[in-house]
Amino acid sequence: MFLNKKIIIALLLLSFSTYCQEREKNSARITSLDEVVVTGQLRPQSIKNSIFEVKVITRKDIERRAGNNLADVLNQLLNIDIFQNASNGKSDINVLGLDGKYFKILLDNIPIINEEGFGNYTDLTLINLEDVERIELVQGAMGVQYGANSLSGVLNIITRKKSNNSWEIQTFFQEETVGKEYEFFNQGRHIQSISVGHQITAKNYINLSYNRNDFRGFLGDFNGKHYDNEDQLRGHNWLPKQQNFGKLLLSHKGENFSAFYKFDYLRENIFSYDSIVRSNFIPATQTSNPSSFDQVFNNQRFVHHLNFTGNFGKVLYNISASYQKQEKKRESYTYYIRKDAKENIEKNLFLSKEVWFSRGTFNNLINTNKLSLQAGYEFTDEFGFGSPFGVNIATGATGVSNSLRNFDIFTSAEIDFNDNFSIKPGVRMSFTNLFDTRFYYSLSARELLKNDWEVRFILGIGTRTPNYDELFTYFVDVNHDLRGNENLTAESGLSTFFHLKKYTNLSDHFSMKNKLTFSYINVNDRIELVTINQTPLQLQYNNIDTFSSKGIALENEFFYKNVQFNLGASYFNIKRILDYDTGKTSNNQANFQLNSNFSYEIPVIKTSVTAYYKYIGKTNRFIQVDGFFENQKINPYSWFDLTTSKKFLKNKIAITFGVRNLFDVTDINTNAVSGGAHSGTNSTVTLGYGRSYFLKLAYNINI
Amino acid sequence: MKKLQIILLFIIAILTSCSKDALFIEDPFVVAFQETSGKLLDIDTQKDIKLIYSETAYEQSIVKIRITTENVLYGRDFITIPAAEGNELSVPININEIENKFQIVELNNSFTDVMKITFSISSIEQDNANIQGNVSHELSDSAYLGGVFYPTIGGPNEPNQVYVDLSSNKETVVRRDIWDLGFYGGEEFRVTINGSLYMAVSALTNTDINSVNSLSVAALQPLVAVGTFDPENKVYVDGPNGNILETAISEISEDDFKNPVYLLNLGVEIGTAQPNTGSVAIAGESRGWKKIRILRDGNGYILQYADLDATTYNEISISKDADFNFSFFSFKTNKIVNVEPPKLQWDISFTVFTNILAQAGSYGFSDFSLHNRKGGVTSYSLVDNTISYKNFTAINVNETLFQESQIVIGSSWRNVFDGTANSNIYYVLKDANNNYFKIRFLDLTNENGERGFPRFEYTLL
Repeated sequence: MFLNKKIIIALLLLSFSTYCQEREKNSARITSLDEVVVTGQLRPQSIKNSIFEVKVITRKDIERRAGNNLADVLNQLLNIDIFQNASNGKSDINVLGLDGKYFKILLDNIPIINEEGFGNYTDLTLINLEDVERIELVQGAMGVQYGANSLSGVLNIITRKKSNNSWEIQTFFQEETVGKEYEFFNQGRHIQSISVGHQITAKNYINLSYNRNDFRGFLGDFNGKHYDNEDQLRGHNWLPKQQNFGKLLLSHKGENFSAFYKFDYLRENIFSYDSIVRSNFIPATQTSNPSSFDQVFNNQRFVHHLNFTGNFGKVLYNISASYQKQEKKRESYTYYIRKDAKENIEKNLFLSKEVWFSRGTFNNLINTNKLSLQAGYEFTDEFGFGSPFGVNIATGATGVSNSLRNFDIFTSAEIDFNDNFSIKPGVRMSFTNLFDTRFYYSLSARELLKNDWEVRFILGIGTRTPNYDELFTYFVDVNHDLRGNENLTAESGLSTFFHLKKYTNLSDHFSMKNKLTFSYINVNDRIELVTINQTPLQLQYNNIDTFSSKGIALENEFFYKNVQFNLGASYFNIKRILDYDTGKTSNNQANFQLNSNFSYEIPVIKTSVTAYYKYIGKTNRFIQVDGFFENQKINPYSWFDLTTSKKFLKNKIAITFGVRNLFDVTDINTNAVSGGAHSGTNSTVTLGYGRSYFLKLAYNINI
Repeated sequence: MKKLQIILLFIIAILTSCSKDALFIEDPFVVAFQETSGKLLDIDTQKDIKLIYSETAYEQSIVKIRITTENVLYGRDFITIPAAEGNELSVPININEIENKFQIVELNNSFTDVMKITFSISSIEQDNANIQGNVSHELSDSAYLGGVFYPTIGGPNEPNQVYVDLSSNKETVVRRDIWDLGFYGGEEFRVTINGSLYMAVSALTNTDINSVNSLSVAALQPLVAVGTFDPENKVYVDGPNGNILETAISEISEDDFKNPVYLLNLGVEIGTAQPNTGSVAIAGESRGWKKIRILRDGNGYILQYADLDATTYNEISISKDADFNFSFFSFKTNKIVNVEPPKLQWDISFTVFTNILAQAGSYGFSDFSLHNRKGGVTSYSLVDNTISYKNFTAINVNETLFQESQIVIGSSWRNVFDGTANSNIYYVLKDANNNYFKIRFLDLTNENGERGFPRFEYTLL
C-alpha cells in the first residue's frame, strides 16, 4: 500500500486532526424516496445518508421533458437560470446570481473541456443527455472535492454502465417547432438518435450511440440565408446549428474491480449568415449581384475517459484518467446569394485546447466504525491557444499559446458521532504554475432528527481562477484598448448552505417532503472589466468587485398515489460593491422565484401528464457596457411547459407530445438605468423564441 | 411491427434530407457599355470600347450593336473590328467570360470636334436577357457623362490622398505623408497642416525660434494632439469646413514680430499593420515634433523650422502659385513637393481627415471625402429624398442648397459598422465650370470586405 503511506504523510503535513469514536453500522431506513448518489461522496450512498444535500434529476424526469441537452432540463429548477445567447447559440447557467464561471459541470465525475474553461462556463447545449442515468446537483462550495471554480456547486451527469438485457436498442426522433416556425427541412429542430447496448457477459457491457441535433435557427424578424434585400433582415435571430454526438462505452463491472472506457465525440457547426447584404450594384448594367460575408464555426471535441474502481484490501479506490481536446475553426467567405456561390473562402483554426486530467480518490484509509477517511489527488494540464472570440484578437496575438497546470491533493473524512450526527471536514491544497498555492476548506454536518427531520450544514472556502480571456485577451487598435491582465489574482469565496428537510408519510398513499434552505455566498476580489484610463479609453480586467448573495428557498414535494406535485419558492438578494481607485459603486439585486410541477401517471392506459411552471420575478442586475456598469431591470416572466407521454406495444414505443414555453416568452423588456457614459443601450433581453411544440417518437427493443 | 420500423426509417430519412427555398427575383442577363461616353479626339488611331456583362456568361451568344453617326462616315473616316454589316456589328458573348470589347479605328486622321458616333445595343440574343443600363456609348467632344469610379485610396492603411476630376474622369494619387505644410496660393497669407497625418499645431508666446526647446514646451505637448477627447483641442487643428480663415496657424502678418513660433506635432506615420478584414489601420508610429515660424516675403512666405532642441534653424522661401490652392512643403525632403492638381482640375478628394466632434474635439476619420472648396466647388446632400438617385435630373437641382463647407460628403456616405455605403444618401455637386453632377456611393469595401476600396457612381446632369 505505497499510496497509503504517501497520503497519510500528506495528511499529517496538512495537520489534519480527527476526533474518533466507535463507528457503528449505518442503519438508515431505506424509503422509496432514497436514491443512491455519488457526487462528493466517499462511496455511493443514499441521499439520506449523504452529508451533502444532493438533488437528483432522474432519467424519467429527463424523458418527461424530452430533454436532449442540459439546457433543455435545467431551467425548471429554483435559483438556476439558463441564459441563451442567441448570437452564438450558447447557453450559460446562472446559480444564485453567479454565472457558469463558479459552477462546475461534470460528466461521470470528471470535468469536460470547453472553449472558456475546463468544467466551467460550459455551454449546456453541448452536454448531450443520451444514455444518462441521472443528474446529481449539489448546491454549495465543492472546492475540496472538485477544485477551483465550484463555489456555487457542481452538477454531475451519470451515464449508464450496464444493462439488464442482452441487447438494447433505443432509437428516437424528435421534431420541434422553434416558436411558430417549422418545416420538415428548413425550420424547427430535428433530433435523431440511436443507441445500441450489448451486455456481452454478466460483467462486460458495450454501448455505441449517435445523436444528431439539427437546430435550424430562429428567424423571428429575419429572413434566412436566401434573402437579398439591403434592409439588414437577412439571417437569423438565433443562429442555426447542427450537432453530432457519438459515444462509445466499454464497461466491466466485477466484485472487487470495475473499469470503463468512454469516448465522446462532438462535432458542431454554427451558421452565421450576415444580416448585411451588399448589393454589388453595377450601374452600367443596372443589375446587382448581392453578397454577404458569412461564417461557419466548426467545433470539434474529443473526450477519452478511463476509470478504475475497486479495492485493495479495505481501501477503495476510484481513479479516472482523461485526455480531451477541443478545436474551433472558422470558415468565412463571400456568399453570392442569388448564385448560391461561395468565394474568397478563408479557413482558420482560432482555438485549440487540450487537457490531460487525472483524478483519484482513496477511501477507508482509516476506517473505524466512526471514522472514514478519504484522500485524493487531481492533476490537470491544460494547454492551447486562442480565444472564443477569435476574430477580436489582434493579428499578432492569435498564436499565443498558454498552459495552466494544477496538481491538487485533498482529503476529507466522515465522522459519525452516532447514528444520526455526522460531520465531514475537508481540505485541499492546489499547486499551480500560474498562481500562488491555494487552499480549500470545507466543513459539512448532517443530523438526522426524530420524526424524519434532517438538518445539513455545508461550509466551503474556495477560489475562482481567472480564465483565459481575463488573463490574455489583447484587443488594441486606434479607438479601442481592451487587455487581459496577467497579474490577476484568483478570486476568493466562501459559501454556506443550511438545509432543513422533513419527510412525512401521512398514509400509505400520501407522503410529502419539505425542505427549507438558507444560503450565503461571498466572493472577494472579483474580476471585472474596468476602465483604467479615460483618455484614451483603456479597459482592463482587474480584481475590484465584492459579491455576496443571501438566499432562502422552500421546496415541497407531495406524492399521492400516481400524482406528484411540487411547489417551491425562493428569494435571494445580491449585493455587489465595485471598488475603483476613484470611488465605490454598489448595487443590490433581489430576485423572487416560484416553481411548481405536477405529474400524473395513469397506469391503465400507460399515459403520463406533466406540467412545469416557473415564475421569475423582477430581476435587477448589473450589466457591463464598455467598462461601465449599468443597473438593468428585467421584468418578471414565467416558463410553463406541458408534456404528455404514452407507451404502446409492451412499452416498446413511446410517444411524447409537449408544449414548451406556453406563455410565449421571447424578449423581455428591461429598463437600463444609466450607470456610466453609455446609457440606455439595452432595451430587451432575449430569453426564448416563443411557444413551441414537440413530438418525440421513441422505439426501444430489448432482447 | 416490421411495417412500423420501415415507416420510422422512412420518416427519419425524409427529415434528414435537405432542400432550400429562395426569396428573391433574379436580374436579367445584361450586356452594357462600361462607359457611356468618350472623347472622340482622344482616339489615337484606335480605341477599345468595352462591354461588360451583368454576370458571368452562361451560354454562348451574340450582342448586336447599332451605329449612328453625325458628320462622320463609316468606311471613310472610321471602321470597327469586328466590321459592321449595314449599320450594325455583332460581338460574341463567350461563355464563362464577364466582358468583351470591340475596336473603333480612325481612318486618315479624320476625326474633328463636330463629329459624333453613337453605338447602341440593339439586341442580346440570349434567353432572359434585357437591354438596360449603359445602352449606348457616345464618342464626341462634349464633357464626360459619368460612370463608376474607384478612387485609389490604397486599401486598409489608406495611404493615399486621391484628387478626382469628375468632368475628365481622372484621378491624381499621392501618398499622404509626402507633405507637411501647405502655403495658400490665394489672396490670404495662410498655412495649412497635414490633417491626414493627425498633425496639430499651437502658437507659442515666443518669437525667437532658437529659444524654444523641449523643456519649454513640455507642458503643452500632451495637449497639442488629435484625439485627446478634449473639446478645447480644436484650436490646434484646421477648421474642418475648409474655410481658409480658420486654419490653426493664424494669418501670417506683414509685421514679423507678430508672427510667433509654433509648436508643430507632426502626427503619425501611415499605418502598416494588417487589420482584421473590415477594419482600417491608418495610424502608425509618431512622427515627432518641429518648431516653426512663418514670415511674409513680399507675395510669398519664409518658413523657418528646426527640431525642438536645435539651436539653429533652416529657412526656405516659398512663393505663391495662384493656379494651385497650396504650395506644399515637406520636412523629409526640405523641398516644395507636388501634391494637388491645379485648383480648377479637381472636384473631390479622398483622404484620412482630422474632423472635430462637438464633445470630443479633434478626431481622426478614415474614408473622408472633401469637395474642392478653394477651387470654387460646392455641393449638397440629399438624404431619404423623395426623388430617387436614378430619377434625379438637372431640373431637380436646388441652387439654394449648395454649401461651401468642404465636408458635405465627409464621412456621411459610409457606415463603418456594417462596412457598407449608405444607400439612402446622394450628393449634388457643382464644379467651377458650372457642371452639375449627381454622386452616389456604392461601396465602402471591395467584394472581400476589405476597407480602403470605395466605389461611387456619378452622372453629369
